Amino acid sequence: MSILYDEGQQAIATESRRVLDARMSKDRLLTLLEQVGEHDRPFWDTAVEQGWTALAIPEEHGGLGLGLTELGLVAQACGAATAGAPFLTFGYGAARALIEGGDAELAARWLPALASGEALGTVAFAEGNSALPPTPTVVFAEGRLHGTKPAVPGAIKADLAVTWADRGGEPVLVLAELAGAGRNPISSYDNSRLYADLEFSGTPATVLAEGAAARSLALDVLARMAVVTAHEQVGAAEALLHIARDYAVTRKAFGQQIGAFQSIKHRIAEMYGLVEIARANCIHAAASEGGENFIVAAADARISATEAYDTNARDCVQIHGGIGVTWELGLHLHMRRARSLAVETGSLYFWEDLLVSRLAGEGA
Amino acid sequence: MSDLDAYRQEARAFLEGMAPRYARAARRGNSVEQDLALGREYMAAKHDAGFAGINWPVELGGQGLTHLHKITFDAEEMQFGMPVQFFGISLGMPVPILMHYCEDKAFVKERVVKALRGEEIWCQMFSEPSGGSDLAALRTRVETDGNGWKMNGQKIWTSWAQYCDYGVIVTRSDPTVEKHKGLTYFWIDMRAKGVEVRPIKLAGGDSHVNEVFFDDVRIEDSQRLGAVGGGFGVSLHTLMIERYIATDSAGFGPHLDEFVSLAREVELNGQPALRDGRVRSAIARNHAMRAGLDSITKRAFLMMQAGMQPGPEGSLQKLVAVRSRQKLSELAMDLQGNAGLAFDPHAFVKTDWGTSWLNAPTGRIAGGSDEVLLNTIAEKILGLPQDHRPDKGVPFNQIPA
Repeated sequence: MSILYDEGQQAIATESRRVLDARMSKDRLLTLLEQVGEHDRPFWDTAVEQGWTALAIPEEHGGLGLGLTELGLVAQACGAATAGAPFLTFGYGAARALIEGGDAELAARWLPALASGEALGTVAFAEGNSALPPTPTVVFAEGRLHGTKPAVPGAIKADLAVTWADRGGEPVLVLAELAGAGRNPISSYDNSRLYADLEFSGTPATVLAEGAAARSLALDVLARMAVVTAHEQVGAAEALLHIARDYAVTRKAFGQQIGAFQSIKHRIAEMYGLVEIARANCIHAAASEGGENFIVAAADARISATEAYDTNARDCVQIHGGIGVTWELGLHLHMRRARSLAVETGSLYFWEDLLVSRLAGEGA
Repeated sequence: MSDLDAYRQEARAFLEGMAPRYARAARRGNSVEQDLALGREYMAAKHDAGFAGINWPVELGGQGLTHLHKITFDAEEMQFGMPVQFFGISLGMPVPILMHYCEDKAFVKERVVKALRGEEIWCQMFSEPSGGSDLAALRTRVETDGNGWKMNGQKIWTSWAQYCDYGVIVTRSDPTVEKHKGLTYFWIDMRAKGVEVRPIKLAGGDSHVNEVFFDDVRIEDSQRLGAVGGGFGVSLHTLMIERYIATDSAGFGPHLDEFVSLAREVELNGQPALRDGRVRSAIARNHAMRAGLDSITKRAFLMMQAGMQPGPEGSLQKLVAVRSRQKLSELAMDLQGNAGLAFDPHAFVKTDWGTSWLNAPTGRIAGGSDEVLLNTIAEKILGLPQDHRPDKGVPFNQIPA
C-alpha cells in the first residue's frame, strides 16, 4: 500500500518542521555531546507540548489516536534537526506493547502517562548485536527479572521498560518499572540518547505476552520502532542532502562552484536517490501498519533509510572538506546520530536477515 | 471498483487470451524476422480489440482514454513478454510527434493507424558519431534545395531502422549560429533514395541498432516538423513525451524472485546459497531498493489520478534499476559457477542472467546514460551548476573540433 499524504498529515509535517526550526539550537546539542545523563530537555518539552507523545496512542488512553504515518512525519522533522530524544521512538514502542499486550490494568495505568509525557518509556530487547535475541540472557522467573540489558536507549531516565526475557526456554515480554532496577550510564558518542545498562536483580515485572505471542508482539513493536526511526533517518539524510547542495553552490575552487564538478554533483545526485528511495519505502511501510506485509515493508524502509543516512552523513562531510570535520560546524552531530540510529532499532545485519527470511518463507 | 481497476481487468483478460499465441513461451526459438511477423500480427489483434493508441485522440485513430489507462495496460502487458519491442520507439515518440506537428491530418491518421497495427514502423534518428549525450553537437546537415531540402550525413544507434518505413530526424540547417539554435526537425521516408541502413552487431550478438547514411536525400518542406531552427525544441519535446511510462524496478532484467530461487537451488560451502550471508545481504539490499522504486511508481500513479504532476523522483527509475540489474546478474552468474558459462544469445533478458548481464550496458547508455541522468538530477532537481561548457555561446562552425 502506498499513499499520498492528506491535508492533516501535510500540516503535521509542516508544523513540526516549523516548531523545530524555531526552537532547536546547534550549540545546545554540541554541549549535550559531552555530558552523560542529559537529554535535550527543551526538545522534549516541545514534544510534550505539541502532543507528539500522544500522537499514536489511542484516544481511550488519552492519546490522539493517529498512526505510524503521522508519528513518522514528526520523526522526519526531528531527524532533520538532529533533534529528538529516545523516548519519541522507544516510548512509542513501550506504548504499543502495552496496547497489544494482555494486561488492561497496566495499559490503563501507563498509557495515559506515556501520552501526557509524565512517564518515560523504553524498550529493552537487544543484547549485543542481536536486536531480538532468540534466547535472551535476561531471565524472568517468579515475577522477577534477573540479568543485564546492555546500553538501552533512554534507560538513564526511563520509568518503565518493556523487556524481552527468557522464562524456562520460552520467550516472554514483560513490563518492568525501573524504580528498583540498577542503571549503569554509558558514556557514548551520542550521549543525549541516554544509554544505560539496565541491571535487573529481582526487579518485579508483569507479563504482557508469552511464547509465540511474545515473539510476534516483540517483532511488531520492533518493526514499528524501526519505521519511526527510518523516518527520522530519511529526514536527516534529506537535511544532509540540502546542506551538501548549499555548500556546493557556495564554495568555489579552481575558479568555479565546486558543485559544477561531476565528482561533487554526481555524489549529491546519488544522495538524492538514496533519500527518495528510502522515503518511498517509509511512506509505504507506515501505511502498511497492521497489514500482512508490514514486516517486509518495515525491513525495506529500515534498510534503505540506514543506507541513506550513513551514506549522506559520510558524503556530506567529504564534500565539505576540512571545515566538515570541525566541532563547530556540527556535521558530526549527524555522523553520530546516523550511527546511533543505525544500531538502536536493529542493525542492517538483523534487518537483512529478517527480510530474506520473510521473502524465502523460512520459519519465524 | 474504480474505472482503472476495471480497465486493468479487461486488459488482463485480453492479454491472457493472447498469451498462448504471442507471449514469451510462444516466441522461444523465433528468429528476429519470425518474431517481427508475430509482433505485427499481435499489434493488429491489439488494435482490433481496442487496446492500441489508448491515450491518443479518437479522430486520429486512438481510443481517447487517459495516460493512466495507457500505463495501466502497459504494466500488464510487460508481464507477458509479448513481441512488442519493435514498436516501442515507433509509438512512443516519432508517431506522437508527427501527430503534434504535422498539419496534414489525413496523412497523419493513415500513418497512425498503420503504425498502431504494426504495418508500418517509425524510427527516431538523433544520435550521431559526434554526439550522443551531447545531442546538439550533431553534424547531419540540410541545405535548401529548390522549395525543399537536401540532406547529407550520418546517424547512429538507430533502433530497428532496418525494419522501418519512416523516421523522424533532427538535422543542422544553420552552422553559423550556436549549436542549439541551428537545428531543424523533419520526418523522412526510410525508403527514399540516398538513405542507407547498416545494422550494427552489438556485444550481446543481436543487431537491433543501425547506422543510417544520407547521400543527397531529398526532403520536401512539408516534411518539416516545427520551425526552421526550432529543431532542438522539438527534440526535447520528443524526449519528454514518454516521461511517465510503465517502468520496471528490475531494470528490464530478471525479477528478484528468480535470484532467490537460484540461491535456494544451488549450494555454497555445503549449504543452500540462500543461507550465505553475502547472498542474503544482496537479496535484501536489492529488495529494499526495488521496493522503493515500486513505491515511487505507485505514488506517481496516485498523483496522476488525483490530477497532480508526479514528483521528480521518477527520474531515478532507469538509473538505479539498470545499474542494480547489472550487478545482480553478475552475482547470479557467480552463484551458477561454471554451470553458468553456457550462453544462449537468444535467451530472454527477463529470464536469463547471462543475457541480462551482457545486455545491461546498453540499458545504462541508451535513452540517457547514467552520467547524463545524474547531471539532470543534479541540475534540474537540485539546482547545481552546469558543467563547464567551452562551446557555450559559440557559433557551431567555430567550435574547435
